[in-house]
Amino acid sequence: MALREKYDEYQRPILGTISVIGFFLLWEWVATYVITVNPFFFTQPSKIAVAAKGLLFGGELWKDLAVSSKAFVWGFSLAVIIGIPIGVFMGWRRRAEYTLDPFFTALYASPLVALAPLLIIIFGVGLTGKAALIFLLAVFPFIFNAFAGVKSTDRLLVNVVRAFGGREKDIYFKVILPSILPYMVAGTRIAIGRGIVGIIVGEFYAASEGIGFAISRFGDTYRLPEMFAAILVLMTVAVVFTEGLRKLENIVAPWKAGQEAR
Amino acid sequence: MAPYIQARDITLTFKPKNRDPVTALSGFNLDLGKGEFLSLVGPSGCGKSTFLNVLLGLLRPDRGDLQLNGKKITGPGQERAMVFQEFGLLPWRTVVANVELGLELKGVPAAMRHERAMELIRLVGLTGFEQHYPHELSGGMKQRVGLARALATEPEVLLMDEPFAALDAQTRDLMQAELLQIWERTKKTVLFVTHSIEEAAYLSDRVVVMTARPGRTKNILHVNLPRPRDYEMRLSPEFNEIKAEIWGDLKDELMAKHTNGA
Repeated sequence: MALREKYDEYQRPILGTISVIGFFLLWEWVATYVITVNPFFFTQPSKIAVAAKGLLFGGELWKDLAVSSKAFVWGFSLAVIIGIPIGVFMGWRRRAEYTLDPFFTALYASPLVALAPLLIIIFGVGLTGKAALIFLLAVFPFIFNAFAGVKSTDRLLVNVVRAFGGREKDIYFKVILPSILPYMVAGTRIAIGRGIVGIIVGEFYAASEGIGFAISRFGDTYRLPEMFAAILVLMTVAVVFTEGLRKLENIVAPWKAGQEAR
Repeated sequence: MAPYIQARDITLTFKPKNRDPVTALSGFNLDLGKGEFLSLVGPSGCGKSTFLNVLLGLLRPDRGDLQLNGKKITGPGQERAMVFQEFGLLPWRTVVANVELGLELKGVPAAMRHERAMELIRLVGLTGFEQHYPHELSGGMKQRVGLARALATEPEVLLMDEPFAALDAQTRDLMQAELLQIWERTKKTVLFVTHSIEEAAYLSDRVVVMTARPGRTKNILHVNLPRPRDYEMRLSPEFNEIKAEIWGDLKDELMAKHTNGA
């Protein structure tokens, strides 16, 4: 009986873990007994694990991750610093919204990675080009989430602060900023995913180091276990960040968890 | 002697975009004595809440004169505080931080406003819930916070905009009784807007019945029931007579509203 209750309590992580392990076991089995083809084109979890161990303890991958992270931090920080004020401004001033919205909507909807070659021509192969691409991909979730956050600010609360003698500044700091906070966390989660696409594409196009470059180099040289190992590392990083942010969302805004704009 | 609050010829027309203008108040007059408990009743949309917002200083009338203690009202001020129907609590603030809001906007030092907030939390019976967030409270408790917040700034006039309308019937009865107790202790001037004839009769010294839109004064009734009033008083024939009288005035206005297709 006690075991049954324990299971009910932890059903989610238990089933999640079983499904992931099952997936890898199935893959291993298929790759060993069913599709016993050319190892140039297919690999299996056991080989990936060995490769991952080699990459992580060999130090090779850490250098690549560090290089990519640097570009990511630059591009992402710029996206935050520029995106949030633009979004707040658009949300607060109707004219700004009408003027800017067509551009941002078009840009947000289009596959901006297509601009990668152009950005690399303008900013060069190194850090700047990659950071620019990451910025371009990550900035729109911040703009639109800040915008949506301001738009959804409860007019009643603005009136409450006014009624108690609050000025513009008080409305801004005591109502608008706290209101958009959960939207910002949600925006960050989307922006991280897009930013990672930015890194990878940027490094696919032109780079001599970085995690994207590593993946592309392993692929080019048919080192599939290493390639998959690098991808798995990247996936892990992305999952840790986005899940961490989901937790953060519950902490910064326990009254409305799970808000999302676009 | 001039009344404590004097409203003369208050006229206000809302001009929404793409819709016909709506005259909410037209030549509305009201006198309110210091320490008086006065209720406004009338069909919905008759402008009673509008008048409250004009008195609060959030809305500017197109025409008319509004004075408090001989001084013209031009905007929000510390001698007036509002209790809102939908509570208007900041969801990211704890109970005590919500109660402190008005004091904070007034520039009261942190230690002092905390002390004052704790005092009011005790007054409204929320001791033990100081660190709770609004979403953890019931409707009745939220409105206690709203009341404490309004009282914290030590206003002379308490404006209450259907403060108990969102509560269930029993909580409502309880809150009415507690409001009376607090009012008898603090001797604030109260302007109370309600849909409920029973509520108006039970709480007030005088009841103003308003006409259908645009709102004017239809009749003013004196509630000559002894204080302190208790729940049992509501069962007395005198009380029912007063209710019948209010209903007699209100009935035609509700009908008028109905036949106008509103």
